[in-house]
Amino acid sequence: MTTEQVAPLRQITGGRLQRVQAFAVASLLALAVWQLATLISGGWVPSLWRIMTALGEDATTANIYAEMWITLRRIFITFAAATAIGIGLGVAMGLNRRVMAFFRPIVVMGLAVPDVVYIIVAILVLGTEESSGLIAMVLALIPFVINIVVGGVGARDPGLDEMSAVYRLRRVRYLVDVVGWQVSPALIVATRTCFAFAWKLIVLVEALSQPRGIGAQIYYSFRLLRPDHMIARALLFIVILRLVEAIIFAPVEKKFLGWMQ
Amino acid sequence: MTRSPETTQNLRARLRASWLDLALGALGASFPIFLWWIGSHTTTFVPPIGDVLREIPGFVTGEDIWPDVLVTIERVAGSLAIALVLGFAAAYVMHRGGLWGRVADRYVGLMLGIPSTLAALLALYVFKRSEIGVYFVVSIITFPFVALTLLQGLRSADRRLDEMGDVYRLSTPQRLRHLAVPHLVPYTFAAIRNEYAHAWKVVVLAELFAVNSGMGARFARAFDRFRIVDAMLWLVIFMIILLGTEYLLLLPSERRVLRWRRSGMEGLR
Amino acid sequence: MTHSDHYIRVTGLDVSYDGFTPAVTDLNMDVAEGEFVAVLGPSGCGKSTLLHAISGVVPPQSGTIEIAGRPVGSGRGDGSVPIGYVLQEHRLLPWRTVAQNIAIVLRAAGVPDDEVDLRIDRYLNMLHISKFRDTWPLRLSGGQRQRVSIARALAVEPAVVLMDEPFSTLDEVTARVMRQQLAELWEESSQTIVFVTHSIREALFLAGRIFILTQGPARVFDTIEVPVSRPRRYEDPRLTELEAQIVEHVMDEWGYGATAGEDAQR
Repeated sequence: MTTEQVAPLRQITGGRLQRVQAFAVASLLALAVWQLATLISGGWVPSLWRIMTALGEDATTANIYAEMWITLRRIFITFAAATAIGIGLGVAMGLNRRVMAFFRPIVVMGLAVPDVVYIIVAILVLGTEESSGLIAMVLALIPFVINIVVGGVGARDPGLDEMSAVYRLRRVRYLVDVVGWQVSPALIVATRTCFAFAWKLIVLVEALSQPRGIGAQIYYSFRLLRPDHMIARALLFIVILRLVEAIIFAPVEKKFLGWMQ
Repeated sequence: MTRSPETTQNLRARLRASWLDLALGALGASFPIFLWWIGSHTTTFVPPIGDVLREIPGFVTGEDIWPDVLVTIERVAGSLAIALVLGFAAAYVMHRGGLWGRVADRYVGLMLGIPSTLAALLALYVFKRSEIGVYFVVSIITFPFVALTLLQGLRSADRRLDEMGDVYRLSTPQRLRHLAVPHLVPYTFAAIRNEYAHAWKVVVLAELFAVNSGMGARFARAFDRFRIVDAMLWLVIFMIILLGTEYLLLLPSERRVLRWRRSGMEGLR
Repeated sequence: MTHSDHYIRVTGLDVSYDGFTPAVTDLNMDVAEGEFVAVLGPSGCGKSTLLHAISGVVPPQSGTIEIAGRPVGSGRGDGSVPIGYVLQEHRLLPWRTVAQNIAIVLRAAGVPDDEVDLRIDRYLNMLHISKFRDTWPLRLSGGQRQRVSIARALAVEPAVVLMDEPFSTLDEVTARVMRQQLAELWEESSQTIVFVTHSIREALFLAGRIFILTQGPARVFDTIEVPVSRPRRYEDPRLTELEAQIVEHVMDEWGYGATAGEDAQR
């Protein structure tokens, strides 16, 4: 998936007023469509009012935050492991033809295997421990990270490589000062993509194999035929994720991309 | 005259290197099989490779799998087509900008973050176990990615080609025919190729939750009944179809359509 | 025989990028220590390849290149002599400030930490760009970037500075100022410089000796001493006259003469 361009493309242009306007229009329109769906589905799609009520109930129970914390912790563990491994392998593949030759087919296959398969195979081999789900997630995420990082390393300026050879830069300096900074935009996109996919995947993992966590809560509400709570819980967690992104990712990006003006 | 140092070995070394690359590639490709082999020896759940391989002929020639395979392929192709149309529309509106551009941008951003599991569960409520649900889930999940890829194409087309259109005073239809479409073709291909694989993965999930037919449902059923050999067979079929279409259909046709792009540069190497 | 007359020795050099199309064949040249030589050739003849080989970035297929009596190495930290290189593009790291860019290559050349800052200041001063010390390269003009690139090349106090058409992307006025200052800089420092260009006038203005190459694959076609004393003026009529003679002289060889078409492969 070319999420590579998500970050630069989705810079919303225009002033604050226009952004607020767009947000209002988008929200109102979505709410109207939702309400329409409620009417058509004969109550199977919960009405906005029911979702609001469920949201109120869920937001005031302490339990839900414990579940969120469990999920957040899992996201962070898998995210950290997948980005670290993916970036390391991706850089190695981008710089060394042999490493590339060996891992390329594995990455292609890794991208093609459905997430469900990773999860089910992990459960079969390792049991229903928490760790088996997390390992499945890391395995499913790594190919995405590698794909983006390899693209970034491959697109580096060969002129700067020659410069490093002329001035005999040492390996470490070359990796940090020459390759590292050129790849940094791709690395940021890779980490963002990885984080977003980690959230998408954890829901599946928890629904299939875990008794706790926000994904399990969503699936639980689904089985009890309580779509209002299902949506409310997802919404609550999405808000938390957005906060995390704003607090952690935005400052890091600013720091690393300053030289591009 | 700026070539990277990698291209500077002499011919013999390069030939040797390319053989080495091939060998390493083959080694990499067989790595999952190696893992499988280890798995089958260390656990009781994973069936030996031999068992699965022996089953393949009977499995493939049996009448019983093809309806499910076909229905899944149909779903992938259908929802991909919908996603392309939706994605193109969204990209166009986003590119035009203004209020509606920003509104579309909001929706694309929102859709990017929706877990397919959540979409599949919701679809169950709305569409019950009907076919539309699968199409809905797959196209909703894949279309924002299509939109972003095409948007990127539209944006870069603008910068480079609009000036030329101005210089030669092309009319709008001429611009579309000679500038916009040829420029968007590679981006459309990129979108199709990326989202094709994505669609397969989502379809499996949607079938698992939402319907009783298709490869995803069969795969899940095999697992539920603990018929691991069947599940492995479905996985093998899945990989063969996905990688097969990728390498035999999509990649060659992309090369064919885009051959004008490489003629100049690659010949010099 | 001292090595100062044969400070750079290139003998029987063959270079090829892909193993069968030669870019440089059987090229021989000697450069004395402190000499400013120009390498003149038509576009695409292999001039840049020659510099790449001298810098050690491209290994020769056969032949030898020695600088100060030591063979040119290609690796990092293999004890080969330090080299400064200025190309058409500045090749600066855009995410590092001007000073950091120079510091990185100084450290790679093994300059002790306490001397790094002194050197940066000295060479930025010399190139009249001290005030851009802490600026990012992308905020500088083309001429300023090229000055930084030259400062970087000189700061490692290299055995030789290689220059590959460093002024060809600048506007003419900037280029003239830079050439003038480069000539002055060389006279002060008596640094050995090999300067590649396709402009005959530029070669005549800057160099003491000019190696004229053949149309590719490159060999030395002729060597010319420039009999004009320094300081020179770019508009000097003697240079104009020499320029006309050289054009006449290379016309056939570079493939524009009456026998065009069959002479290239001789």
